[in-house]
Amino acid sequence: MKIDDITINPTKIICIGTNYMDHIEETKLEVPKEPVLFPKTLNCLISSDEPIIYPKWIFNNRKYNRIDYEVELAFIIKDKCKYVKANDAYDHILGYTVFNDITARKIQVKDITSKLPWFRSKSLDTFGPIGPRVVSNQEIDDPHNLKIELKLNGEIKQSSNTKYLLFKIPELLEYISQFFTMEHGDIVATGTPSGIGPIKPGDLLEASIEKIGTLTNKVILEEMVS
Amino acid sequence: MCLGRNYLDHIKETNAPIPTEPIFFVKTLNTLITDNEPIIYPKILYESEKYNRVDHEVELAFIIFQTCKNITAERAFDYIQGYTIFLDLTARIMQKSDRDINLPWYRSKNFDSFGPIGPRIVPCSEITDPHNLSIQLKVNGQTRQYSNTKHMLFKIPQILEYLSKFVTLERGDIVATGTPSGISSIQPGDVLEASIEKIGTIRHEVILEQI
Repeated sequence: MKIDDITINPTKIICIGTNYMDHIEETKLEVPKEPVLFPKTLNCLISSDEPIIYPKWIFNNRKYNRIDYEVELAFIIKDKCKYVKANDAYDHILGYTVFNDITARKIQVKDITSKLPWFRSKSLDTFGPIGPRVVSNQEIDDPHNLKIELKLNGEIKQSSNTKYLLFKIPELLEYISQFFTMEHGDIVATGTPSGIGPIKPGDLLEASIEKIGTLTNKVILEEMVS
Repeated sequence: MCLGRNYLDHIKETNAPIPTEPIFFVKTLNTLITDNEPIIYPKILYESEKYNRVDHEVELAFIIFQTCKNITAERAFDYIQGYTIFLDLTARIMQKSDRDINLPWYRSKNFDSFGPIGPRIVPCSEITDPHNLSIQLKVNGQTRQYSNTKHMLFKIPQILEYLSKFVTLERGDIVATGTPSGISSIQPGDVLEASIEKIGTIRHEVILEQI
């Protein structure tokens, strides 16, 4: 896919759950001792200005009808790597971008309660807007001091700073790369701060991170082709 | 994409509840190996007192033929290119310990080389009924898993209908349909042979990771 002027061909998206203390408190989850990892599949990726599609069957399902935004700082892997040491982590990072980890919250809560994987709630088509551009390491020398916010229809809903990340980027890459070989273009989303809330068709989401820019996506209801 | 808990005998052996809907989890592409490539037993598991157990799970997998979304069970076979064998290697104790604290099943399933696949893709025209194939796994020549795909809880058309409600599937995407009972642990030095009737056998040696 193209993000502004950079083409990346990710082989995986790894997200970090519960990585801001304020978000941990609002979701009543336990403070993790190690980073919590889950994948999103590549079908979820869309660019800035492409619509987030609200699945009709979720919209019409009273039990599951809730989808949330989650603004996150993401980093993109520069080269194939495994067993990266925290000290060398930045050598393997191409740059930073904004990611919106759209989540079918009620499905997720049900699956968590049943001790099931988080796949269904996280990997729906268009549930991973990314962009608007990738900002290199040279431009952002400290990724842990950036304002991060999300606006829903112009109103600020999430507002925090990446300095509140529980596990920092070097630790995250060291941790992740002990399990999986990372490839050029792979995406790691570092978790969301507090203020998550629901979206509905017609909404406009603006996810912004200082020094990167704003990722803008409208929410539309799925039109089923039958 | 892999199905969990799709053979009743496997559900019983793991003491898991019978699912009312298919359960999916993700294996990422770093897991894929083929052509007799070795399964690498991760050193961090081998040296961990807590997590040192890796299990085999033989599965029938189907490969997607063309882009599809929201398809109905009746038309499922139009979107399947063919069938192959998949080995869903799992760091079992890590999976259990993650599940016990309500975490996703991710790291236990996605170590490099934890997804052997092959030895060939048999087209739908050669396998008219994918739900009547004997399936087995041998470790060092000894049979550990032996079943038949007719014991699958959710059948392939239902699986594809359900899955394609959530995600657009693309040509070449892999869906593994779950494992029968008989899962057991593997050790460096073991040779695994996973076979499915009409498809063939994949053979992989397990080697300890050298860092």
